[in-house]
Parts: sequence; structure tokens; C-alpha cells
Amino acid sequence: MTTDAMDTFRAEADALVESLEAALLKLKDAPDDRDLIDAVFRDLHTLKGSGAMFGRQDIASFIHSFETAFEDVRAGHVAVDDVLVNISLAARDHVAALLADPSAGEGRAILADLSEHLSRALVGAAPDWRLQFYLPSDTLALGGRPEIVLDELRALGAWEVTAHLDRLPPLAAMDPTQFYLGWSARLPGDTPEDAIRDVFLFHDTGLDLTLARSDEGEAFVAPALPGVDAVSEADKPAAAPSSLMRVPSERLDDLMDRVGELVIAESRLVELAARIGDPGLVSVAEDIQRLATAMRDTTMSVRMTPIGAISGRFRRLVHDLSDTLGKPIDFVTEGEETELDKTVVDRLTEPLLHIIRNAADHGLEPAETRLAAGKSPAGTVRLAASYSGAEVLIVIEDDGRGLDGPAIRARAVERGLLSEGADLTDDEVFALIFEPGFSTASEVTELSGRGVGMDVVRRTIEDLRGVIEVSSEPGHGTRVTLRLPLTLAIIDGLLVEVANERFVIPLAAVDEIVELPAEHATDESGNAFLDIRDTLVPFLRLRRLLSSTGEPDPHQKVIVVTSGDGRIGLVVDRIIGTNQTVIKQLSPLHAGLKTFSGATILGDGAVALILDVPQLVSKGQSVTEQGRHAA
Amino acid sequence: MNAISPTLSPPATGDVVTFALSGEVLAVPAACLREVIEPVAVTRVPGASAFVPGIINVRGSVVPLADLRIPLRATDAARTEGGKFLVLELTLGGQDTIVGVIADAVHEVTRIEAGDLETIPPVGTRWPAQYVASVGRWSGKFVTLPNLTAIFADYLAGHLGHGTPHATHTDAPHDAETR
Amino acid sequence: MTATVLVVDDSPSVRQLVSNTLEASGYATFTASDGQEALDLSEGRRPDAVITDQNMPRLDGLGFCEAFRARPGNQGVPIIFLSTDDADTLKARARAAGAIGWMIKPFDQQKLLAVMGKVLPI
Repeated sequence: MTTDAMDTFRAEADALVESLEAALLKLKDAPDDRDLIDAVFRDLHTLKGSGAMFGRQDIASFIHSFETAFEDVRAGHVAVDDVLVNISLAARDHVAALLADPSAGEGRAILADLSEHLSRALVGAAPDWRLQFYLPSDTLALGGRPEIVLDELRALGAWEVTAHLDRLPPLAAMDPTQFYLGWSARLPGDTPEDAIRDVFLFHDTGLDLTLARSDEGEAFVAPALPGVDAVSEADKPAAAPSSLMRVPSERLDDLMDRVGELVIAESRLVELAARIGDPGLVSVAEDIQRLATAMRDTTMSVRMTPIGAISGRFRRLVHDLSDTLGKPIDFVTEGEETELDKTVVDRLTEPLLHIIRNAADHGLEPAETRLAAGKSPAGTVRLAASYSGAEVLIVIEDDGRGLDGPAIRARAVERGLLSEGADLTDDEVFALIFEPGFSTASEVTELSGRGVGMDVVRRTIEDLRGVIEVSSEPGHGTRVTLRLPLTLAIIDGLLVEVANERFVIPLAAVDEIVELPAEHATDESGNAFLDIRDTLVPFLRLRRLLSSTGEPDPHQKVIVVTSGDGRIGLVVDRIIGTNQTVIKQLSPLHAGLKTFSGATILGDGAVALILDVPQLVSKGQSVTEQGRHAA
Repeated sequence: MNAISPTLSPPATGDVVTFALSGEVLAVPAACLREVIEPVAVTRVPGASAFVPGIINVRGSVVPLADLRIPLRATDAARTEGGKFLVLELTLGGQDTIVGVIADAVHEVTRIEAGDLETIPPVGTRWPAQYVASVGRWSGKFVTLPNLTAIFADYLAGHLGHGTPHATHTDAPHDAETR
Repeated sequence: MTATVLVVDDSPSVRQLVSNTLEASGYATFTASDGQEALDLSEGRRPDAVITDQNMPRLDGLGFCEAFRARPGNQGVPIIFLSTDDADTLKARARAAGAIGWMIKPFDQQKLLAVMGKVLPI
């Protein structure tokens, strides 16, 4: 078995386990949905099959037992309820554990739970039918269709349909026109015997049929080869649609790196062609430029992953939390199709889990408290994703008690994060929860530990070049908003010059560019606001921020950038133009500098720093605040 | 990147690369040397410490450039015309990192035997003792082996100009709180 | 491809009833008034299933069955016998001649379709 195939198996198994989880959780809300029950079966069946193929007998046999017990559900003898979903989820977790670590055990306890639950649910029903049959040996020659027999049995609700190969002669003695297969199956106890016999209407000459109630003793020959299931359309593992392909994400990362290098080489070529001025070369360079841009776009689109890819984990989390906390919780998602770069989605998972956990644990009140406050007993946690320009907005909202501003303030003072009597807006107070070591929960719960970690959440979001904000209304709930760039890898950049040094501003953040009015040109001390169409926009002189030397250009430009609701003007000497910016992360040695989100390599091989717009905008907002206080 | 992760403290014995800086001879383990390049344009990083004042382009990668004269408090002698950049592969805060180091000149890769090494005399050393791993002899001269681990760790801890209070993503929120 | 049934009966009314019922359910049919005609027709057009009467002029149902089965390529085409006679001997003979099943006349449309569904689902 090659490692590649092994990797593919792992990837496939992981996906199946996830899909299984999603189906089980949906089943909780729609217990009668046959399609979902079938989906659970398909996933189990495929997992069992590929597990066995890849030498994971432990997984295959666990799933086989699980599947067998679950047949009662599929046959409609047992209704799906929360207990069943929970046991199934535990089984799913056990499979995931086995995938990660073969020594995770046999999961007997889970199977015991399952069979106990099922036997309880089955009490009172008529004993099942058990039947075993071998079709006449001339079945095929006469145009008989064994699969129709199986379909009719399934239509009657058959389960544990198992093929028997014990009458199969040695290959050399086999007559291809003869039929040797037999099957056993169980049928619902309430099926009329006539209906069963009628299935074999055209096969009764030479038919070997045993039909008995399951409590009528062991009237059966032991199945020859347990585990070899009847193959029919319904049982075949669902083949992946041929138009989809599973690719290890490292290859996508490699591809992105290569495209990044291509884009850099392309900009060198374009620059060189412009310098040499040969029309043929220029035209080739333009072709390459066009191709490189298209290549970049395609590669990035391949990397885009819908948020929905991880929302299953959140659904599961909320389900488990609801169970553990004893609070009914509705989890609502919107915009699951919203796509982000794969790396961003992957790295978002933990922070989102944390925020959702906080919302469910600390945000939502117990049902009694909610009722007393005139709310519905079930709390709601909403996860909504949407596009907003070159950013994706992710909102996590709950309708719980809201943040306690005075408590946060008191805690911050107690922790030395804030001086007593500091003048802060509500939102600034709420933002204190992102400070290291902060906690608002007075009770320590099993789920949220000591409430630590929002600082880590913020750091992760900022590492993704994103912004996190929180707002809250007492008694009505809390809303955490994440703004994230669509992609981490390549952006369109605006190349600017400040004191002969070049910097890149992400073009998507640029609103407009205006000339710096003469009255501001030299007056470094005057108020730092521009009047743009009757709106005051604060501005930062980059040459001061970047401690540049030398005289400013006589015609300085102001680049107005936005992030979220904020706008700020950035004063530069000169605008060089736009370029494709391949973002390189700064090393740990420079990662602490908040002004820059990364660096890029320019066409001439020099390195230019990329300005972190959200950071600059928040700086601008503090400028605005100061302006207000001065006024 | 598949070099065996070198310990930044020079081995008791082994290959080192010797180079000149501010009139002194320094040496770093050859195992962490990736290459020696001609000086290229350095992009100043506004707000960064004088120890890591800029970044350079090394074969398409953006690499920080460190100036060992700052932690070693070397006299700020003008660099000679034939200066070089050593490109080193170090493990900083658990992360493999490529770092450029300014040198006036690069001499050679040589083997220093354990017997050639001396512990630093407690007094009379020009350089901060905590940043010097050992002193050896090479071609009749003293050669200083800087303790790169200590230097960069101090920098990241904020003791050498503007360090970085945090550096890695490994402490994800989930892990942080389940402890 | 539409499932095609060859309907063989010397009674035009039965032929019509059977083929109308089948066609209304989505099968295609073609008909023959006796075993010989059925054999001739099936030379040029291979049916996916056959429904045949027993008592017919020139070639009866059993004769047709044997001759039809004997031809290459006709293995595996299901043949259903129509009979007014419920005798076990005839059933055994029909089976031996190559029919998979039989239906007792008279029958209603639902029964016919149910039986067809067992050999040739739409």
C-alpha cells in the first residue's frame, strides 16, 4: 500500500467522519428524513469498506457492528431520537479516535449502549421475520432478476441483507448460466407472510426458502461469509462525482508559492521589457503578465473554501454544549457558502470554536432565567458570514444576557489593565475582554475553563490580518464581528513612495486619492483633518510615522483607506502605481511591528513593506478622539 | 531546509565559519550557514531595533538582516567595502527562521578542536559575557564564538531594543484554555 | 431505452388489453397472433420480455418457448405464460420449456403490471 493511497484514505476517512457527523446532527432535527438515514448508512458503509481495504479491521468491524445495530433504524423499527443521535455521535467520535490512534479500543461500551437503546425501543413489536433463500439455479437463464427480488424485499423493509456464497462451486466447476447465490435477511415482524412469499412468485420452482419468526429458534444454517454484503445499487459506496478531486492541501500551498514566484518574475520581466523598449519583448511581457494574473486568480479560486466546511464542528460543539449545560440552544448559520482562503478557514476554526463556546456558556442564560426575562427558553447562537469588499465579515451573535460593562471595567481595574475612572466608550470597555488573562465569568465551568483565551483569539485573528470587534446590549446579547481578508497570499497593491522608500498599500482598502491641500503641505503641527466633500477625514503623515528623513515632495498625495467603519488618509510623496503583491510574512524578529502586515519583493528585486491598513485606521481613530477632546 | 537542526551554541568541536566584524574574528557553526551572499539593497524597517534594522531579498525570500555589533557592543567601525552577508538558518522561538548577518569579510570554514577552545576569561573581555559562548584560536588570532541562542532569545524577550512580545501561533486558544 | 415486451395471443382483444395496459405504464410492445409469427418477428426485433398464451394455432406457447430459447441471444429474456389452466403439470412443462413464470387468466391490469415488475421493471 503506497503512502499516497494511505494519505488519500486518511483524507477520505476524515471527510466521511465529518459528513457522518453533519448528517447525524441534521437527523436530530429531522428524525424522519429517510435521505439522512440513508446518508448515514452510505458514510458508514464506505468507511467500513475502505477501512477494511487499508488494513483497518478494527475500524471495519466496529462500524460493521454499529451498522448492523442501526439496521433497525433504517428498517423503520426504531425512531430516531436524541438518545440515539448522542450514542451515534459517540460512535462517530470513536471512529475518529480509531483513525487517529488504532489503540483507541474496541468501543464495546458504545455498541452496548446502542443495542440496549434499540432493544428497549423494539419491545412490543412482533418478532421479526428471518428468511434465507437460494434462488433456482436456472434463474438467470430464464430471465430472472435476483436484484428485483432483493429490491422487493427491501421495499418490505428488509435489513441485514447478507449474501451467502456457500453454494458457489470451485471456479473450475462453475457453470456461468447457473445461479448459486443465496441471501439471508430480516423483515419487519408485521409483514404478512403472503407478501413475503409473493416476492418469490416466479422463483418457486427449485426455490430453497426458509422463513421463520426470529424467536422460533435457530432454523438457519450459519451464514458462510459474514460481512460480505449483498451488492445492489443502494449498498454501493457513493462514488465521488467525477468532476471533483481531492488534493492534499500542501500541494495547493506549493502551487501558490510557485505562482507567487511567477508573479515576481513576471513583474521583473515587465520592468526589464519597459527599460529595453523592444516592442516584441514588451508584447511578450504583456502576454506573460496577463497569463500570470489569470493563473493567480485561478489558483486563488482553487484555494477558496466555504465557511460551511468547518461549520459542522460548530454545530457539534453547540449540540454537546447544549447537552452538558442543560440549556436548549438553537444554532443558526447563514452564508455558509461564503469562501475564504483555505489557510484562513483552517486557522479560523479554533478562534470561532472559542467564541461560540463563550457565547453558549457565558452569553446564554439558563432556560428559567430566560423565561423570567420574557425570552424564549431556547437561546440562539448565530454564525453569519458575508462578503464586504475584499473582506469577509463573520458575525457570531447570541441573544443572551449581554456583556456586563461595569463588571468588565471593575475587573480590568483590578487586573491593572485600566486606571480607575478612565474615560472609555462602551465598546472600548467591551474590547477589554481581549486583553490577556481577562475573564468575566465568575463561575468556573467545565467548558470554558477560566474564560481565558480571548486574547489568543484576537492575536490569531490579527495574525490573519483580520480585525475583531465586540458589541453588546445588556439583556439582549453579544455580537462578535470578525473582518478577514479574502486571501493571505497575493493581493493587488498600490505602490507608493515616502522619502525615497517604497511601501505597498492593499488596493482593496483604497477609497480615493487626493492631492494634499497646500495649507497642510508644511504645517506639521496643524490639525490633522482633511475636508473631503464636507466630511472630516483624519490623516497620518507617513513620513512622520515611518521616521523618514529628507524634504517632502511638493505635491504630496493623500490616499484615503477604509477598514470596517473607519477611514483615514495616508500622506505619501508619490504614487508609483499598482502591482501584484505577493505577501511574505515578516520573520518573528519583526512580527511585533504593528505598522506592517508583511513584505513583498518588487520587480527590481528590492523588498517593500506592506502597510497594515486596519492598524493605521485604528491609529487614525485615536487621532480623531484626540481631535474631539482638543475641540 | 533539511539540514540537521544545528544547535546555536557552537559545538565543543566541529566546523565553524570564521568572519570579520569590527576588527574582530567571529565564528558560527558551519552547520547553520546556508550561504554567503554579496551585500544587496537593504530595506529599512521603520520602528525596528538597530539589532535587526532591515530586511533583504534572498532568492525570493524576505529575510531579516541582523547586526551583531549591537548585542556585542562592538565599536561602530565603518564596514569595509568587501562586506558580505552570511545567511544563517536558526531556530527562533521554536520556528525555523532564516536570518542574514552582516560581516565585514568572511574568511573560511575551519575545524576548531575542543582543545583550542577556552572558556571566556571572567575579566578583560570586550564583549558582554552572556553573549559569548567560547573563545578559540584560529591562525594565531583569538576567535570569538557568539552565543546566538542567547542573543536572539534576549531580543525576542524584548531585552535588545524592540523585540516581539509574541511570536508563534502555536498557542491556539483551544489549547490554551484546556490546560 | 424503453423496455420492449412481445405480446403473443390469438385473441385480438387480449392482445390489445395487454399491450394497452403495458404501454400506459411506459413499456413498448409489439404483438403476434401465434407462436410462429412471434418467432418470425423476434428474429428482427429482440424483446426484453415475452408474454405468451398457450393455446394458439400453428405454434403453441410451449413450442414457441422451446424454439425461442433455442436461438442464440435469447437466453435470459424472461417469458411469462398466460394460461386459463392452473394445472401443475403445465407449470412444470412451461418451466422446462424456458418460461420463468405464468399468470392465470383472467387477470386485472394491476396484477399484470405487478407481474411485469418482477421480471422487467420500468
